[in-house]
Amino acid sequence: MAAASAFAITPHKVSVCVLLQMYALPTQATPPFSSVSQHNRLGLYILSLTKSYDDILEPKLEDLISQLREIGGSLGPWLIDHLTSRVSSLSSPDDLFTFFSEMRGILGGSDSVVIEDNQVILDPNSILGMFLRRCVLAFNVLSFEGVCHLLTNIGIYCKEVLSNCMPYELHRLDGSSNDLESLSECENMDLENFVFGKVNEEIEERKEATERVSFHLHATQAICGLVEDVEVVTDPRSKHHDKGTEDCPHVHRPGTESQDVDPYGEVFLRTNWQVQGYLTEQADAIEKHGGSVSFNTFELILRQIKKLAPELHRVHYLHYLNSLYHDDYFAAVENLHCYFDYSAGIEGFDFVPPSGSNNSARYEIALLCLGMMHFYFGHPKQALLVLTEAVRISQVQSNDSCLAYTLAAICNLSSEIGSSITAGILGTSYSPVTSMGSSVSVAQQLFVLLKESLKRAESLKLKRLVASNHLAMAKFDLMHVQRPLLSFGPKASMRLKTCPVNVCKELRLCSHLISEFASETSTVATDGAFSTAWLKNLTKPMGSLVLTQENESGENFHALQFCAQSSSIPRSVLQILGSSYLLRASAWETYGSAPLARINALVYATCFTDSSSSSDTALVHAKLIQHLAAFQGYKEAFSALKVAEERFLSVSRSVLLVLKLQLLHERALHRAHLKLAQQVCDELGVLASSVMGVDMELKREASLRHARTLLAAKQFSEAAAVAHSLFCMCYKFNMQVENATILLLLAEIHKKSGNAVLGLPYALASLSFCQSFNLDLLKASATLTLAELWLSLGSNHAKRALTLIHGALPMILGHGGLELRARARIAESKCYLSDPSYSVFEDSEVVLDPLRQASDELQVLEYHELAAEGFYLMAIIFDKLGKLEEREEAAASFKKHVMALENPQDEDPLLNLL
Amino acid sequence: MSSRESCRSELRTAIRQLNDRCLYSASKWAAEQLVGIEQDPAKFTPSNTRFQRGSSSIRRRFHTNDVTSTPPAGVSYVSTPVMEEDEVVDGDFYLLAKSYFDCREYRRAAHVLQDQTGKKATFLRCYALYLAGEKRKEEEMIELEGPLGKSDAVNREVASLERELSILRKNGIIDPFGLYLYGLVLIEKGNQNLARTVLMESVNSYPWNWSAWSELQSLCTTIEILNSLTLSNHWMKEFFLASAYQELRMHNESLTKYEHLQNTFSFSNYIRAQIAKAQYCLREFEQVEVIFEELLRNDPYRVEDVDMYSNVLYAKECFSALSYLAHRVFMTDKYRPESCCIIGNYYSLKGQHEKSVLYFRRALKLNKNYLSAWTLMGHEYVEMKNTPAAIDAYRRAVDINPRDYRAWYGLGQAYEMMGMPFYALHYFKKSVFLQSNDSRLWIAMAQCYETDQLHMLEEAIKCYRRAASCNDREAIALHQLAKLHAELGRSEEAALYYKKDLERMEAEEREGPNMVEALLFLAQHCREQKRFEEAEVYCTRLLDYTGPVSSMI
Repeated sequence: MAAASAFAITPHKVSVCVLLQMYALPTQATPPFSSVSQHNRLGLYILSLTKSYDDILEPKLEDLISQLREIGGSLGPWLIDHLTSRVSSLSSPDDLFTFFSEMRGILGGSDSVVIEDNQVILDPNSILGMFLRRCVLAFNVLSFEGVCHLLTNIGIYCKEVLSNCMPYELHRLDGSSNDLESLSECENMDLENFVFGKVNEEIEERKEATERVSFHLHATQAICGLVEDVEVVTDPRSKHHDKGTEDCPHVHRPGTESQDVDPYGEVFLRTNWQVQGYLTEQADAIEKHGGSVSFNTFELILRQIKKLAPELHRVHYLHYLNSLYHDDYFAAVENLHCYFDYSAGIEGFDFVPPSGSNNSARYEIALLCLGMMHFYFGHPKQALLVLTEAVRISQVQSNDSCLAYTLAAICNLSSEIGSSITAGILGTSYSPVTSMGSSVSVAQQLFVLLKESLKRAESLKLKRLVASNHLAMAKFDLMHVQRPLLSFGPKASMRLKTCPVNVCKELRLCSHLISEFASETSTVATDGAFSTAWLKNLTKPMGSLVLTQENESGENFHALQFCAQSSSIPRSVLQILGSSYLLRASAWETYGSAPLARINALVYATCFTDSSSSSDTALVHAKLIQHLAAFQGYKEAFSALKVAEERFLSVSRSVLLVLKLQLLHERALHRAHLKLAQQVCDELGVLASSVMGVDMELKREASLRHARTLLAAKQFSEAAAVAHSLFCMCYKFNMQVENATILLLLAEIHKKSGNAVLGLPYALASLSFCQSFNLDLLKASATLTLAELWLSLGSNHAKRALTLIHGALPMILGHGGLELRARARIAESKCYLSDPSYSVFEDSEVVLDPLRQASDELQVLEYHELAAEGFYLMAIIFDKLGKLEEREEAAASFKKHVMALENPQDEDPLLNLL
Repeated sequence: MSSRESCRSELRTAIRQLNDRCLYSASKWAAEQLVGIEQDPAKFTPSNTRFQRGSSSIRRRFHTNDVTSTPPAGVSYVSTPVMEEDEVVDGDFYLLAKSYFDCREYRRAAHVLQDQTGKKATFLRCYALYLAGEKRKEEEMIELEGPLGKSDAVNREVASLERELSILRKNGIIDPFGLYLYGLVLIEKGNQNLARTVLMESVNSYPWNWSAWSELQSLCTTIEILNSLTLSNHWMKEFFLASAYQELRMHNESLTKYEHLQNTFSFSNYIRAQIAKAQYCLREFEQVEVIFEELLRNDPYRVEDVDMYSNVLYAKECFSALSYLAHRVFMTDKYRPESCCIIGNYYSLKGQHEKSVLYFRRALKLNKNYLSAWTLMGHEYVEMKNTPAAIDAYRRAVDINPRDYRAWYGLGQAYEMMGMPFYALHYFKKSVFLQSNDSRLWIAMAQCYETDQLHMLEEAIKCYRRAASCNDREAIALHQLAKLHAELGRSEEAALYYKKDLERMEAEEREGPNMVEALLFLAQHCREQKRFEEAEVYCTRLLDYTGPVSSMI
């Protein structure tokens, strides 16, 4: 677009030209470069200056000087001296003309130039050569007014540095001290000061926190006019005060700022290329870190860009992202519409343009974005309407890639939200994709959509999309029983089972992505990222060491290696790969293999945290902590949770909060703190959105836990009612996998209420659900419940129960958590004990050993009820065996647990951990 | 209201004082109002009333019930004493400076006054500096224009002026004119609250400076802000309020104020133009046309506000009148944004959209923030089927004034044209929010809901109901309501609306396919309800119409 013409000559570029001259004509320098590496280092520095996008504004002369000091080593002072004297010697328009004609001489290719020794001939087509040519061209097309402006700006640019006999800040203060009293007159100025202090504060904080946005504090000069309407959240007075004690050379006294500074001609935007790079980088950062990026700071930067370059519409998109991730719905909608109104979706998107129509408007992308936004905010109906419109427009515009992305988005939407809502909309709305009629079920519609979307992505060679489609497919296979699409014909061969092999296959196909990305690297990103990283490295502490030749080269090597590594695999690829591991972990969780789930989560946590969004990382941490709680008790889990919470402090809609509530609830149930359990359970329910079909997982979780609390409180009929309505809800929203759990809970309720006969069908139903969805661990626990039910029907069923338990034991002992294992062991010994053909005196260890293990595990969990039962059984056995001492011991433990059960303590040492 | 005579003498003094301080546009405004005061016909020769002829006919047409000229009870106007000049005779240096100023050599003027200490001299020096800065700013805006849009040039005098004026204000040696300038400077610096206070002080102590009032008005963006001002009850306040109400789109309130003011300033062209503006916003095109015909007869070289007249002519498709108007303003001053807009309108009416866009572009070159040109250009692009350009133009209009419902509506229409009805809804909602009593907007929104793609009939019905309740001229809403209800199988509601529609058509003596449809439906409905007599009535009426329907019966 306007990139070529956006190149304006500025004082900073003149400085870079001077540096280039020094680089290219080293013989003119009195102390020549002492080594090749020093020379190269200067070259690299200049390259970085022209390429890096760590900021939007061009650096000031001071910054340039301090950086030169870092890279120049022994040559630094000379470089600085030469630079400043050369730049400040430009005092008339004619000096500028001579300067730029000299510059032309550095370029190779013109025969008239006499080549001196040591001269580095700049290839006119190299990056630096191009830069120089652009500068010369930009100067040549300047009008006389332009030259005058350039001269004035160079004057301002140099003035501040050259008058450094007085510290900068003092200088400023002196200039304006005469009207400080008048300043205190106007009260709203005061407010501004505070706000300004606050902003500075924020900038500082942010700089320390992320290091991603190195925001030049000079920018604040121009910004200070804009800070008026930044809301001050906390008491600004104290903060301001703190600020004052800190000795930061960059922070200007706010009061003098708004009064004295003449902002004209001082700030220049970098080249369009660099600003775009900066914006892209920021967009990535926002998407990755979500709400933890400071809203106001970034908003200020954006406003500044908008002021300096009103026609750069990409800013609106960044505004949109920023408000999206800070959950500001109205601002997000406004800015999204604004961006697409101005740029028609052309600016800043790197979609592969369909051949032929290069400049056509892309409003379908606007629709796609709007749809995703509604999805993000939890408006499934609107999202689906918009996405359907996007499908139609993409078809009209024959924008195939957008269509593929839209289809993927629809798949994602309809698999996430409750399907019954989708069914309603998909059924009524006129849409070519969904006009399959209502004869097929929603799941089948989704399946067809997924296939279609995958096919499109493959034929368009959108590799990332293919990979994420494979992931979506895997997710689908994980949860859905395969059925033939057509509902007529012979059904004899139908096996109603999910297909783990397919899941595995899709996940593997997804991982192929990593070998395919090599062909698509965007040069924009790599170049700039390299330069930015290189410049950033300068500011790291080791840069300020005295530079000997050895560590200098080593350092360079380090920098290069670091950059090469970070840019060799695009972040988006890593992100998709990471989510494939995340999906693997949840797949194994569903199938019931704890070790494999844990391994995959660990792989994700170690390899992909850098590239993935903070919410995904938080999710993995939650999974690991859950694992910890199930296998090593709450104490470990809570301390891990504390660490994780500190790390993901600002992740909105945190999964960690849900996890915390879940753990608290479990623990409260085990310790029989029913009030606390109910309270926690209610809190969990409140977290879910009130919109139908949104946050289904959370809603299910909350009412499942509600039923369990009621069960623990022995309100059997209420618990059964809640479980029944939950079952209906899950059935309505097509959450079949979840139904297995609910059926099991119902069986449990009947077992506890003493209606074992009623419980049996539920347990059997749950068992068959587990079988068809391959939920192995849940199946084992259903088998266990079944055995318990049989056992409670009378001692003549003990044999059958024992066989069932023995069948399930391998799975339970291999993969089950502490609670399940203990339950199985106690049930096993109960079976033995109630078996009339078994005698304690013959083989007491058969029952004692499992009981001992069970009570150990239960004590870790503080599961009083079950532990009491275990100790009770033990005591009876010891009594029979006549081991009185052991009997007393078991009885004492029994008493302890029963006491704890009956008088739940209010104070809990673990709660203090949180 | 204070007597005509006192107004007249106040204005005469004010004009002299304003002229003395080179506040020319304020003095122009005051002079216009001075001439607008009704003269005693007995005392003056016809030549004095030359600028007032014909005006009384407007009054006759629109003021059938003559408003009493007594002020509303309880309002008493303060009479601000006319300001005393500190120097009766201007110093020589002042005279030189004023001459320089009149020749637009601002810096020279300021330099001459450097050592003068009088309030008047200080003001003129500061004002000259301010204008010099403004001039330089405009130049720089062109010089520094970058590829990514205008870099923002600033008035470089503002900082030092602010310092000086704030000290003067603190020491209490500032006159109302100085306060006005201080207000300008503060607005430029973006300090709106203080600017409001300062301007308020200025108009309270010297109410005849219309420029100060209009700056103050530009700071009143909401009715709450307007109500929070404490202004003394001078008659100039009435002008201010009327104009502020208009800007806040409280057109009826504004009209009452203006009509009240017309009792004193019965010949003021300004007031007439403002009334026309309000009527235009209320879509009373006939009245606007009459007012402007009179105005242009009195003041044939007027360019201000005439673009509105051209819009009216455009809407009424008066080709020759519009071309005549365009020719006239072109001869008067072709480099006024208004002139370019009128010519653009003319070409648009002729269907030559490319040329029309050219002239709107020229208008925007002259004034980048000329709101209606952006919107009109958007309309042209829509006609040329260049939707992205249209959207861009409308969006710029909206960014200049987010309360411009026409541009929001245009955006909605453009997106609807591209087959994105859901996306368009966002914009229709915006426009409806701003102008909730305009049936066209509601109908557009309803049609959006009605499209095949969305087919959200319930929402469409809600919109049509709103449209029907706010004076739907084309009577689309009632018919659509009836049709939609019939489609949804609610025959009772459908019959109700068909009946309403029928009554309305009868009242307006319109006939057509809608009539047949209504009659047919009602006949069938009555038959189903076993009200055969009623059905018979409808059927007999149907027989009056030829076509397939009568043969069906």
